[in-house]
Amino acid sequence: MLKRFYLIVGLVIMSGYGFVALTGKEFGDPERERIPADVRQSPGGYRSFHFWHSGYRGGK
Amino acid sequence: MSVEVSCPACGAPIAFKTGSSIVVVCEFCNSVVARGDRQIEDLGKVAALVETGSPLEVGLRGVYQKVPFELTGRAQLGHPAGGIWDEWYAAFQNGRWGWLAEAQGRFYLTFEQSLPEQSLIPPFDSLELGGPVAALPTSVPLTVAETGVATQLGARGEIPYRLQPGEQYEYADLSGTSGIFATLDYSETPPKVFVGREVTLAEIGLGNAQAPEREARRVAGAQLNCTQCGGPLELRAPDQSLRVTCPNCGALLDVSQGRLTFMQALQPPKTPPVIPIGSVGEFEGVKQMVIGFMVRSVEFEGARYYWEEFLLYNPQIGFRWLVRSDDNWSYIKSVPPGEVMHRSGSFGGKGDTVQFQGERYKIYQDAIARCEYVIGEFYWKVEVGEQTRAIDYVHPPRMLSMEMSLIQLAVEEVAEPGQKRKKKKNVKTAPAGEINWSLGTYMNRRDVEKTFGISGLPRTSKIAPNQLYPHKKVYKYWGLMLAATFLLGLVVMATGSHAKVFEKTFDLQPLANSEATQVIFDGPFELKGRRNIKVMAQSSVDNSWLYVEGDLIDDATGDVQTFSMPVEYYHGVDDGESWSEGSQTPSIHLSAMPAGQYMIRLEAQWEKWQLPATVSVKIEQGVPRLLHLFLAMLLISVIPVLVAINHFSFEKRRWADSDYSPFGS
Repeated sequence: MLKRFYLIVGLVIMSGYGFVALTGKEFGDPERERIPADVRQSPGGYRSFHFWHSGYRGGK
Repeated sequence: MSVEVSCPACGAPIAFKTGSSIVVVCEFCNSVVARGDRQIEDLGKVAALVETGSPLEVGLRGVYQKVPFELTGRAQLGHPAGGIWDEWYAAFQNGRWGWLAEAQGRFYLTFEQSLPEQSLIPPFDSLELGGPVAALPTSVPLTVAETGVATQLGARGEIPYRLQPGEQYEYADLSGTSGIFATLDYSETPPKVFVGREVTLAEIGLGNAQAPEREARRVAGAQLNCTQCGGPLELRAPDQSLRVTCPNCGALLDVSQGRLTFMQALQPPKTPPVIPIGSVGEFEGVKQMVIGFMVRSVEFEGARYYWEEFLLYNPQIGFRWLVRSDDNWSYIKSVPPGEVMHRSGSFGGKGDTVQFQGERYKIYQDAIARCEYVIGEFYWKVEVGEQTRAIDYVHPPRMLSMEMSLIQLAVEEVAEPGQKRKKKKNVKTAPAGEINWSLGTYMNRRDVEKTFGISGLPRTSKIAPNQLYPHKKVYKYWGLMLAATFLLGLVVMATGSHAKVFEKTFDLQPLANSEATQVIFDGPFELKGRRNIKVMAQSSVDNSWLYVEGDLIDDATGDVQTFSMPVEYYHGVDDGESWSEGSQTPSIHLSAMPAGQYMIRLEAQWEKWQLPATVSVKIEQGVPRLLHLFLAMLLISVIPVLVAINHFSFEKRRWADSDYSPFGS
């Protein structure tokens, strides 16, 4: 029983790997959005979300 | 050429049909008549043959290794533990004699061998059960399976040696792999050696020999009744049984040539057998009947542990066992001792192993087994309280069990004048015994229920010594899937089109303040579909940071993929040890985007904003992802790892009752 379940799970994982590899899928992608050209081209209408809020606080 | 003479005892005509036969048994008076150089001689009378249900008969003709033979005679010999066995004498057309021994449905064909180094045959007293015997002309090593003293009881027909009625002689049976078999006959000095192998009747051209009807029959006349209570009893294997219990009063009775003799009054068992005597089940494709039941026990760390054995019988295949221990079941059949290879030295002890059919069995238990109770009938002279040394070796789902029984025999040597053989009567005691190996195979409780058509057998709560771990096949699938995934990964990486699609270095001017950013647009460049994207940044920051926020913009659709990459690198020396942190070349992987022309927008900020900075950006597609392969293999391994943990626990429980647990006590 377990071996059949494992066989199914294993094949699903293998298939998943194959799907990811063949479609170029990556995990944990940053946000993807659609911004119309007129919005992008308006002054101040296109600014990275990150900088808009706080700016980078790097450093050791 | 046939020689006809008159029996010196009764005068009846007897014939020596085979030129090389030594004695003929007179079929009228059972006298053993020997022929010498000048005259015939009466060696005395033998007992009438006991019906053993043998399929063979004097006069049958067969072929072995393309040489025809005829069974000319038969002798019955008494076994030291009670019971008898048959020896048939085969006169081959090429002048050779073959000895065909028959015991419990097995046949062993041997031929006398002349050894150049007879003196190397060990003396009888030095033989050790299970020990090796060298100096025999066999292709495989032989071990001692049985030693004992045989007694000449009955005979018929023409026999190739001087058979002395009532004669006793010491013998040893040796067994090796591939059915090789040998007998050392110590009736003469030096001992005679017979070498051959176990055969089937079909192999020797006697496959059509038919066993007499062996259906259950009642012991005739007065023997129908129990000698204790007078109640009737039934023998289910009348030709084989040596002991039977009365179903009415529980008395243990000896069966000797159809006569019953009271042996012992037995206490009734606390619970009746879960499979009643007389039940029929199918094993190995043949129906077998439960004819006997016994309870046995061993002592372990001061406690006594009990198990039950059901004796199964089928006239065609003989005896088998079904063993119930802690409500775990095993189907058991005997194996030739020589098939079991023991390393060396004596049996038992930590780390002891045996080999059987290419598999290694580990010692599980070594104890003195005691018979506690019996019901039904048995093919040996069973007694309550009888003890044997029992050693179990396991290789789940199989278990090899060795039972070693030792008996002291009383034997007297009396040399008769003018006779080469010595007639032996009670004088000295000689150690004798036998080793029996049996192979048990674990059986599921439901299979036992199904084969006997019963239900409600108790469930077990313990792991049997030979119980197969039920999920072991997961390991095989694990290996297969790991290999398949790895192969798939190799194929994906080998066939992937890894390509650089963008690379540029940007010089950044000083910022107005620390909050300010610098924005750069570049492109267009082409991204292909279904290929992942790797964006790498590089800046020679030193104990500082530069932060890049980026967008990949499909100008046609407005799709924007954002990403961010802090480039920061710090290093120094603390307490005399150098350290570093971060990277001057970070990267990020993004999922494939729809194929098309893309712009890149970069917005940068850096710690030393007053100074100019440089950042390089490179974009690649179809990047091999070992991480994904590793994750897939890791996920595939989760269940097997859990199974392995469970397996470990299973094995610990399996060995919990063993003196030889690899997990310690």
